[in-house]
Amino acid sequence: MFYDLILCRSLTYAQRTANALGRVGIWTRIVRTPRSISPSGCGYSVRVPRGSLPAAIKMLEQVGLPVKAAYFANGLGGYEEVEL
Amino acid sequence: MIYLDSAATTLQKPPTVALASARAINNLSSPGRGGYKAAMSAAETALACREEAAALFHVPDPERVVFTFNATHGLNIAIKSLVKPGDRVVISGYEHNAVTRPLHAIPDIELCVVRAPLFDQEAMLAAFRQELDRGADVAVCNQVSNVFGAVLPVEGIAALCRDRGIPLIVDASQAAGVVPVDFEELGAAFIAMPGHKGLYGPQGTGLLLCGSGPSRPILEGGTGSSSINQTMPEFLPDRLEAGTHNIAGIAGLLEGLRYVRRRGLNDIRAYENGLIQKLREGLEPIPSIQVYGSDRPENQTGVLSFRVSEMDCETVAEKLGDLGFALRAGLHCAPFAHETAGTLDTGTVRASVSVFNTEQEIQQLLSALQKI
Repeated sequence: MFYDLILCRSLTYAQRTANALGRVGIWTRIVRTPRSISPSGCGYSVRVPRGSLPAAIKMLEQVGLPVKAAYFANGLGGYEEVEL
Repeated sequence: MIYLDSAATTLQKPPTVALASARAINNLSSPGRGGYKAAMSAAETALACREEAAALFHVPDPERVVFTFNATHGLNIAIKSLVKPGDRVVISGYEHNAVTRPLHAIPDIELCVVRAPLFDQEAMLAAFRQELDRGADVAVCNQVSNVFGAVLPVEGIAALCRDRGIPLIVDASQAAGVVPVDFEELGAAFIAMPGHKGLYGPQGTGLLLCGSGPSRPILEGGTGSSSINQTMPEFLPDRLEAGTHNIAGIAGLLEGLRYVRRRGLNDIRAYENGLIQKLREGLEPIPSIQVYGSDRPENQTGVLSFRVSEMDCETVAEKLGDLGFALRAGLHCAPFAHETAGTLDTGTVRASVSVFNTEQEIQQLLSALQKI
């Protein structure tokens, strides 16, 4: 499955992000941020289906949960940063 | 035993509190420490508790609801975040040692104690205005006295502080779960409260509601976030929550908060007031007993202090204990409050109720007091 990752500063922020997206029907899953894209170490991200990211970013901005960093998962174990 | 020490800890809890704590011990690990089910379920419980508290206390953002071990822990964070050596700090004359001892530990502060007669909200507000007009770096005030159940005019004091740009710390230990505590309306820098009193959570839980100003951790350690950095994260709640959470306590506290919200503050207040007013009315005709109560229910919560003439307060509590009543005597960790009320030399006996006490229990206490 192809998906995108929204990096979050904290677990609580990730939970709020996931809940906000869930309320508008965007499927999410909270996951540990892969070490390779987590510059400051441990953290949590919100996984969203490929194609949902633009709508998710816009919606999160509106509810005061701005996205600071997001990545495409390329399906081969790698990640590409999304330009916000 | 007839338990009348809920101002210290509510002993009887809604049954869901213990069930949730037991379930957490058996099924939840720790929020922020993994992505597996037990950790994520723990995280869901923690967020649910923050959100429930945010709704009850009108906190705009659940990330500003920080878990603490008790109110003392939260007050230490708040005071050490805001008060610097040499500062002028204004406090009410009814503060607990949880406020005054951390202040005492900061060098060279000028402590201004605002005193006013018991239950006289107007006098307290006027005295606060006078002291704040002389200038202050920080103000600290409890919302309800833990010794006398006296309600302080915290809304008015908060307005005075806001008008003067003075950060306010509110000790809501005796208020949370009993009277409205409105974080947004007060505009306080911090509001601290325990989980184990009026919120019916387990001992070892507490909440610190944080404004948008600076905060200083008093514990550093792992947060499950930004692990590369050797300084604590800048963001809440992680900044103030080092180490493993008391998730069993938090799960219980969540159920306590839900109970309070379901039952409603108006109903809780009216019920507890009714009990304490009956106690006051029953004690006042007894010539040997001096009661510290207000006949205006809006001025007092479910806490009442009294003294028995010619008898040490600890002796009274011991005799009552032998008869099966649990009341606390002494200074209740609040010498400033006793000094303000003129009871420092004797202390008082304190009866404090919860929603699980009954009118019959109050009648039994009155009968017992007539015998001793």
